[in-house]
Amino acid sequence: MGIDFVPVCGEEILSVSKLSVNRSGNEVISDINLTITCGEFIGIVGPNGGGKSTLILTILGVLKPRTGNIKIYDHAPTSNLTLGKVGWVPQAATNIPQNLQITVKEFIQLGTLTRKSLFQLRKNVREKVLKIIETIGLEEYTNTRMANLSGGQRQRAAIGKALASNADLLLMDEPMVGVDRESRNSIMRLLDDLCHEQNKTIVMVSHDLASIKRTVHRMVYLEQKIRYDGPTNTFPDLSDLAELRGIEATHPGKGSNQNSKVDSDGIITIIIPNKLEGE
Amino acid sequence: MVVGDLVIEILGPFLEFLEPLIPGEWFPLYFVKPYFQRPLIAAIFVSMVAGFLGSFLLIRNLALIGDGLAHVSFGAIAIGLIVGMIDPLYWAFAICVVAAILIDYLQTKQLLSGDTAIAIFLTGMLGLGVIATRIWGGGTLSSVEGYLWGNLNLIDSDSFEFIIIACLASYISLVVLYQSLLLISIDPIAARIQGLPVRFISLYWSILTAAVVVSMVQFVGVLLVTALIVTPAAIAQLLSRSFLMCVILSQILGVITVLLGLYYSAELSTDSGAMIALVSATMFVIVAVSKSIFTRFKASDNNSN
Repeated sequence: MGIDFVPVCGEEILSVSKLSVNRSGNEVISDINLTITCGEFIGIVGPNGGGKSTLILTILGVLKPRTGNIKIYDHAPTSNLTLGKVGWVPQAATNIPQNLQITVKEFIQLGTLTRKSLFQLRKNVREKVLKIIETIGLEEYTNTRMANLSGGQRQRAAIGKALASNADLLLMDEPMVGVDRESRNSIMRLLDDLCHEQNKTIVMVSHDLASIKRTVHRMVYLEQKIRYDGPTNTFPDLSDLAELRGIEATHPGKGSNQNSKVDSDGIITIIIPNKLEGE
Repeated sequence: MVVGDLVIEILGPFLEFLEPLIPGEWFPLYFVKPYFQRPLIAAIFVSMVAGFLGSFLLIRNLALIGDGLAHVSFGAIAIGLIVGMIDPLYWAFAICVVAAILIDYLQTKQLLSGDTAIAIFLTGMLGLGVIATRIWGGGTLSSVEGYLWGNLNLIDSDSFEFIIIACLASYISLVVLYQSLLLISIDPIAARIQGLPVRFISLYWSILTAAVVVSMVQFVGVLLVTALIVTPAAIAQLLSRSFLMCVILSQILGVITVLLGLYYSAELSTDSGAMIALVSATMFVIVAVSKSIFTRFKASDNNSN
């Protein structure tokens, strides 16, 4: 089922060392180290403003680090050699303007574009796109407009678009927003398959602790610094999380000064203690 | 005049061949005399490119950029005519490119939102054009005002040459950059990550838009340029099942609009630009209304089953 070539498992694909990133003057990420090897499925969790999206955008080369560096296959993120190796599923990928009459096939084909293919006549694009549509399980909807798909189907299409450049590393920013519970599970299964059968490396940022905990191999808790990095089964409970964050533990529903709670869907909402950090 | 003459040489006999089939008393004139053939050919070329470009402008929510640039070109043409330039279109094109790049810059740096940047350029240059004509214009006033409403007589062999070259170059560019422009319009960050030269393409895009707008100001008129850029693309959006279909349909609709507009303006001896705008708006209303009736009919049909 592999698309073109299958990367060697266990090889280091991404290394982040001593990374600090500022956004509009504030240090959002300070001095973190992270190494990811091929074939891993990693969930990054943390509160809003904790630096999750910032980390993703820095790995993509969209944001510049203040200090430290990022290597993808031992090259800088913006280097020609890493072009197409990293796929991105943006936050709110499911927000497609209603007046845009674009079909699933057309949408996924956009993912195959690279600097080199800009002017070239591109052969085999059709077969490649159809193969990806098969992988993500949207065969029935090949010529359906994106606007007519459900949230979960759009998310699949967005994953397909990210895969279309033969990406080995897939970075996903809140992919479960706007997706119903049932589709969440099937998308997690799709990602799990991609990971195991095609050796894709997946880094997924999410609020939805419950659904990623079941699937990912490794969890990272990021709140300015990495407070936890390890296997999923030893990921601490929420009360212990507060300890990790160096904040007084509070229990959901108790008191008015709580800074985190879990709703019925297992989604953590953490009220950012901006002032706490400063004091 | 090389390209323009070549186009007339190739298409002229074909138009003459069609002439007996064309209805109307005055409209067939467009098909026989080179003097009238030029505006007809120019209008068809421009409407195709405008429809193509319009499909992209609509998804970028830049429907009014055509309007903005047309007003900029009015100011530029007014000054060009006062200074005594023979080919005001080239001069207007240069100024429009600068304006389009500035608008794009202000948007990407998020100094101003799209509409605001366009509005400032639009009003500023229109004001400049009018004031300059009033103060220094003298005899040029009437010919400058021809550009406001559009006048087919303005298309001489020089402007025809400009229009044909601009249209051919824009059309080829749009075909080549089709995928890249679509990706940049939907998701500029993804385009950057995939290694596309987003800055360069956006810049080139601004130049394209300026070229298309400037080539249509003479016969549609500054105030009505948007009719050919936005309306056919908007109708196409209502009818399409894919983006490719949208692009093709908006070109076909553009050509139909122009032919109907020129037909009615010739038969009723009215302004060509105003008639084209009126025809395109009428087409939009007809399509939108019949579509909503059709969907409602279909829905009630499904319910009864």
